[in-house]
Amino acid sequence: MNELLEVALRTLAVSGAALVFAVAIGLPIGFVLGRYRFFGRGLLVALANSGMGLPPVVVGLAVALLLWRSGPLGELRLMYTPRAMVLAQLVIALPLIIGITLASVGQLPEDFHLQVRAMGLRRGRAAWVLVREIRLGLLAAVIVALGGILSEVGAVMMVGGNLEGQTRVLTTGILTYVQMGRYEDALALAALLLGLTFVLAGTLTAIQQARRA
Amino acid sequence: MSATPALAVRDLELTRGGFTLRVPDLDLRAGEAVAVLGPNGAGKSTLLRAMADLLPLSSGEVTRAAGCDVALVFQRPIAFSGTVARNVELPLWAQRLPRTERRERAHAAMEEFGIAPLAERDAATLSGGELRRLALARAFATQPDVLLLDEPFDDLDAGGREALSLDLRRVLDDTGVAVAMVTHDLRQALLLADRIAVLLDGALAQEGRRDDVLRRPAGPEVARLVGMANLWLGRVVEPGTPGLSRFPGSTIELGDGVRITSAERVAPGIDVWVGVRPENVKLTVGEAAPDATVSSIVSDGVLATALLDWHGLVLRTHLVAGRGLGNTLKRGDAVSLTIRPEDTHLMPRS
Repeated sequence: MNELLEVALRTLAVSGAALVFAVAIGLPIGFVLGRYRFFGRGLLVALANSGMGLPPVVVGLAVALLLWRSGPLGELRLMYTPRAMVLAQLVIALPLIIGITLASVGQLPEDFHLQVRAMGLRRGRAAWVLVREIRLGLLAAVIVALGGILSEVGAVMMVGGNLEGQTRVLTTGILTYVQMGRYEDALALAALLLGLTFVLAGTLTAIQQARRA
Repeated sequence: MSATPALAVRDLELTRGGFTLRVPDLDLRAGEAVAVLGPNGAGKSTLLRAMADLLPLSSGEVTRAAGCDVALVFQRPIAFSGTVARNVELPLWAQRLPRTERRERAHAAMEEFGIAPLAERDAATLSGGELRRLALARAFATQPDVLLLDEPFDDLDAGGREALSLDLRRVLDDTGVAVAMVTHDLRQALLLADRIAVLLDGALAQEGRRDDVLRRPAGPEVARLVGMANLWLGRVVEPGTPGLSRFPGSTIELGDGVRITSAERVAPGIDVWVGVRPENVKLTVGEAAPDATVSSIVSDGVLATALLDWHGLVLRTHLVAGRGLGNTLKRGDAVSLTIRPEDTHLMPRS
C-alpha cells in the first residue's frame, strides 16, 4: 500500500508543479493576448488554441527529443527524471491556461479596462480587479489543465520512463500493474485517479453554482 | 465664475481610426455644468474620455487645476463583482484610503443617490436605473472636482430621468463640482446645463451660455439639435414698406411672397437660414386676414405641437395642452401668426 501512496503523491507533486508553472507563465500571456491588439497576435492566439488539443504522447516525444542525451538539452541530464515529466506536462497545460485566460479577458464588457483606469486603479490593484472578474474562467482553466495532465499517460511515459520508485505515476502505474497481472493494485490506482478527478470536477461545479445562487 | 477653470481643453486634436476630433477651446468651471450635444458619431464620448485622460491626444492639451480630481461615468457602467457597497468603494480603494473612511464616504454617496438600501445587494442583480445610480455614487464617492457624465439618462424611463435630474441638480449645487455631460436628451440637458457645447463631425461647432445657444445657434445643424425646429432658407430683401426703411433689422423673403422680419441685420441680397423656435410662434384666431391653416395637431397632454401650412411653408408651434388654443385648435382652423423680430434668428448659408 505504501507503494501506491508513493505513486499517488508523486503524481500530485509532478502535475501540481507543472500546473503552478503553467499558471505563472500562462496567466500573464493570456492577459496580454486577450487585452492588447498587436502584430502577430492572431498567430499566437491560433497557436494557443491549437495547442489546447495537443496529443500528450506527441508532446512527450518532442520533449524527449530535446532532453535525449544527444539532444540540445541533453547536457542537463533530465531524461527519465520527475523534472522532465514536469516539463512535458507544462507544455500540455500551458496552451489550456493561455487559451482559457485570453477567452475570459476577451469576454469582459466593452470599456472594461478604460473604466478600471478611470477609477484610478493602476498596476497591482487593476490586475486584482481583473482577476476577480475573470476568476470563474481562471478556475475552469486550472481545473481543466489539472484534469488533463493528471490523466495523461503518453508524455510521462515517454520522458519519465515509468521507473519504479522514481518516475512511476498513477496512469503509468495502472498500465504496468495490468501488464504484470496485479489487477487489484491497478484498480486501486484507478480508483485514486477517478477520485481525484471527481474532487476537481465537484469543486468547479460547487463554485459555479454558488455564483448562480 | 472662478478665474481659472478646473479643467481646460486647449487646441485638442485626437485621431482614432479615420475620425478626428478637434476642440480648440473648452473650459469646465466649478459649479457650472456644460452639456455636450451632437449627433451620433460626432465625438462626444471621445471628448469626455480625452478630458478624463484616458485617450492619447494627437496634439494640444487637457490641463487641470492643481489637485483637481476627475471622475467619468461611462455610458454603459460596469457592475464589478461583489456588492453595491464594494463597487462604490472601489475608486476609494484605488486611492488607498483606510477602510473606515472608504465605508463612510461610500455610504454617504449611496445615500446621495438613493441606493443606500441596496448596499449589500449583489451589484450584478441591479436594474438599469439602479446601476446608473451606482455609477454616479461610485464617481461621487471620490469627491471629484470635475465630473464627466456620458449619457447619464440612458436606459431610464421618463420618471427615472426626472428623478435623476433633480438628484443631480441638488448634488451639483451642493458640491460645486464642474460637470460636462454628454446627452442626446435635449430636455435633460437643458434642465442641468449652464452652458452648451455642440459637436458636429468631430469639430466644436458652438460653445456658449445655454440661452445664447438656444436663441442664436451658429448654423442650421446646431439649430436643429437645440430645438429650433422652424428652419427655412430665405433671401434678405429691401423692406417693401418705405416707412420701415429705418427699421434696424432685416426683412427676409422666404419664397412666394412670404416675408418675415428679424431684428438681426444682414445686407440685402444675401441668402440666409432663418430659424424660429416653436414656442416663439404666437397664434390668434378670428382675425380678418388669417396667415395660415392648421394641418395637424398632436398633444401629449402637457404640450401640444401644431403643424401649420403657412403659404406652403411648414411651421411648427408649441401650445400648452388643455388650455386656451391648446384646447380648442383643430385641424383646418385658420390662424394668424405673430413672430417677434427678436425671435427670428438668421444664420449664414454656407
